[in-house]
Amino acid sequence: MVRYKKLTIPFKILAVSFLVNLLWEFIAEFSALVYNTNAFALLFQEVSAYIFQSIIFYYLFKDSALKKIALFSIFFVVIFAIINGIFLQTPYSSFPTYVYLLTNGLSVLFCLFFFKQMLQYPLVIDITKQSVFWFNIAILLFSATMFFNMGLTNYYARHKWGKDIIFYLWCCNQPLLIILLGVSLLIDNRKVRTQNGQ
Amino acid sequence: MGNDEEIRFAVLSATLLFAAVIGFIIYFVILYRNRQVKNKQEQDEREIAFRQELLQTQIEIQEQTLEYISKEIHDNITQVLSFVKLSLASVSNTLEDSKKAKINESRELVAQTITDLRDLSKSLSFEHIAQIGLVKTIEKEVEKINKSDFIKISLLTEGQIYSLGEQRELVLFRIYQEAINNALKYAGAKHFKISLQYQADLFNLTLEDDGAGFSPDLLNNKNGSGLRNMENRAVLIGGKAIIDSKPGNGCRINVSLNPFKQLYTDGGPHPNSFS
Repeated sequence: MVRYKKLTIPFKILAVSFLVNLLWEFIAEFSALVYNTNAFALLFQEVSAYIFQSIIFYYLFKDSALKKIALFSIFFVVIFAIINGIFLQTPYSSFPTYVYLLTNGLSVLFCLFFFKQMLQYPLVIDITKQSVFWFNIAILLFSATMFFNMGLTNYYARHKWGKDIIFYLWCCNQPLLIILLGVSLLIDNRKVRTQNGQ
Repeated sequence: MGNDEEIRFAVLSATLLFAAVIGFIIYFVILYRNRQVKNKQEQDEREIAFRQELLQTQIEIQEQTLEYISKEIHDNITQVLSFVKLSLASVSNTLEDSKKAKINESRELVAQTITDLRDLSKSLSFEHIAQIGLVKTIEKEVEKINKSDFIKISLLTEGQIYSLGEQRELVLFRIYQEAINNALKYAGAKHFKISLQYQADLFNLTLEDDGAGFSPDLLNNKNGSGLRNMENRAVLIGGKAIIDSKPGNGCRINVSLNPFKQLYTDGGPHPNSFS
């Protein structure tokens, strides 16, 4: 809680998103056990994770156009997820891969835009001591690597060998994502970022 | 393609993608660090330029003030005093001898004051330095101060004298004035040495006194603003000032500069010019 107070607004949002994500993980596990599918819970988890991520990017971007895009993309993704769930990939018939492709694709784009912003406005402090850097590489690594594979989940499932691939990638990426985001939360400090003009 | 092959291909492509992203991040870190270095250099350059601009403005204001005082002394005060001298002369003719002697004494004092004020006016004005150059101006100053018996000044000039440009010479003269002022006012020095070395690619001005000296810490506190000002002025003309002193050991100030180095302020107006 003491650490939370020292965080900047985007990283406070990140800390909250961690807890929300954990909650969705439990719900997904529960759904898999009781209803034999967790597609519905995973869809909500993905959409909520994307909403949090976009709000974080909204706070991190300096460019007003990018800020608007980050906010607008939330409505776009939510509407697309609803349309996809009703007309294209219903939760009980298939995995919502289109939603994953869209959210991961947008995340990669936002990360690249943010890297560009970092180059435009370099800070004096070492890059490894910048929380935004760790946050960005966490999202980039996870989204870029999982982009095709989450999108191909239905294909893997049809060919009965998808679990191995997903499991392999998940084992590599999920802990890495948590560690990198954890690092960003640990080193984020309002005072340091204010001193550096962010 | 069989299932095993497809799995291998998918795992391989995912791993390659992961490696590519890692490669991109490493490239980004290198790029970012280079940008940080470049940014720092640009920031330093901006700071130096700003500092020089600020100093230039300060000097401009100072020179304008000195010029104003110089003109006031020359055109107003000395004129009034000359009138007083003339009046005294006309009055003395009508008085008896004892009073006449006192009036004549006062006239001599007024005449001396007029001469002193004219000298002061010349030393304050940049026009004088521009006209006769740094060496001659210092020579005249030395001659005047040596008459006072407060301090013994020696001047040594080495090499073929060349012009350093109005701005540089004016700034060097102000550094000299600051140093002599410090030697008289704070150090209680009895001897002051001035050395001007004109080499082909280097000019050196050395000012030495045998006064009380000071601790090097003085340069970093507010009482040392005059000394820091000398350093800043030297930077402004593309030179470097080294101030060396210890308590009881006097003070040595060395200003060195490359006479052919492009001045930041080159092409700009004279410090004393009105915009």
